[in-house]
Amino acid sequence: MKFAKNRKAINPELLNPEPVIGYNKTKGENLNSHRMLKLSARFILGGVFVYAGFDKILHPSAFAEVVYNYKILPDGLINLTAIVLPCLELVLGTFLIIHFWMPVTVVMSNILLITFIGALLFNMARGLDVSCGCFSATAVESSMNILTVLRDTSFLAIAVYLLYSCFFHRN
Amino acid sequence: MAIFRSIEKNKVKTDKVKYFQVAWQSFAMFALSILLAFAINQFRSDRLPLVGDWSIKTKLTAANGDRLEISFEEAEKLFMKKSALFLDARSMDDYLKGHILGARSLPWHDVDQRFIEVTEDISSDTLIITYCDGVSCEPSCNLALFLLDMGFNNVRVLLNGWAVWLKRRLPVEKGNTVS
Repeated sequence: MKFAKNRKAINPELLNPEPVIGYNKTKGENLNSHRMLKLSARFILGGVFVYAGFDKILHPSAFAEVVYNYKILPDGLINLTAIVLPCLELVLGTFLIIHFWMPVTVVMSNILLITFIGALLFNMARGLDVSCGCFSATAVESSMNILTVLRDTSFLAIAVYLLYSCFFHRN
Repeated sequence: MAIFRSIEKNKVKTDKVKYFQVAWQSFAMFALSILLAFAINQFRSDRLPLVGDWSIKTKLTAANGDRLEISFEEAEKLFMKKSALFLDARSMDDYLKGHILGARSLPWHDVDQRFIEVTEDISSDTLIITYCDGVSCEPSCNLALFLLDMGFNNVRVLLNGWAVWLKRRLPVEKGNTVS
């Protein structure tokens, strides 16, 4: 039988391979824990964005006042920002939770958080004592301080982890 | 080698597709947010105009059209006659470092906590002048509007009050002198 003669010897392990979950069992566990971490990160960050946007959608005038007090945007853009930004936060939060369009959602989340932290630091450097407007539109919310920056930085750390998972991590 | 070159080509192609995907999805997400925002704004009772008037002139106009701003000379005359009560809208730390003689501290950021304590002995007809530091002086404007809402009839704002008071070497004091 010509066919049989030309066949190379087959490794018996290849005939009944063990199911592969990752490379080996330890790496499989690592992959599962990474997936759980990513799921938690998505829900935490998504929840934060939805919560942050919700109150501001309910009180647009008060949020416009907060945006004005930051003294960064020109007067003509204040109302537009007050109207659009909370909806953007709501959309981002929802997309994070339902795992939709993850690459762009994660990129936008990072950009938004970096912008917020930048604005906070800029105004703290200028000595401007205004309310943060991070989670509430009322102007008598806690004024921005280093704890506000640290809190937002922790959210940014979660967003950066999601960015890494999305673009660089090999599953 | 040919296999590695084709893998590299596919990787570059996949990366380009991914970046293009991120780009068009970004536009789509912005467009969705804007549409949603305009729709919500259109159908709400307290609709916000797309472009608002945020000039200080508008902010310092009360609901009945009266201007809240008071000139420095007028404020000085009222101070000398002791006809007005000055309220410092800056933070407590700034107040303790120095304030207009006889002024009380009512920081705008603590107004909810300190309003009753500071104003319980002030009648609604008392002439109150709020001040802080800076040309636009947001806390003093906000405090003045708040006091009007709370029933005080005679409230004025001294813009950039603290800086000009110091410049003119008018009476100041330090610490918490008002019990």
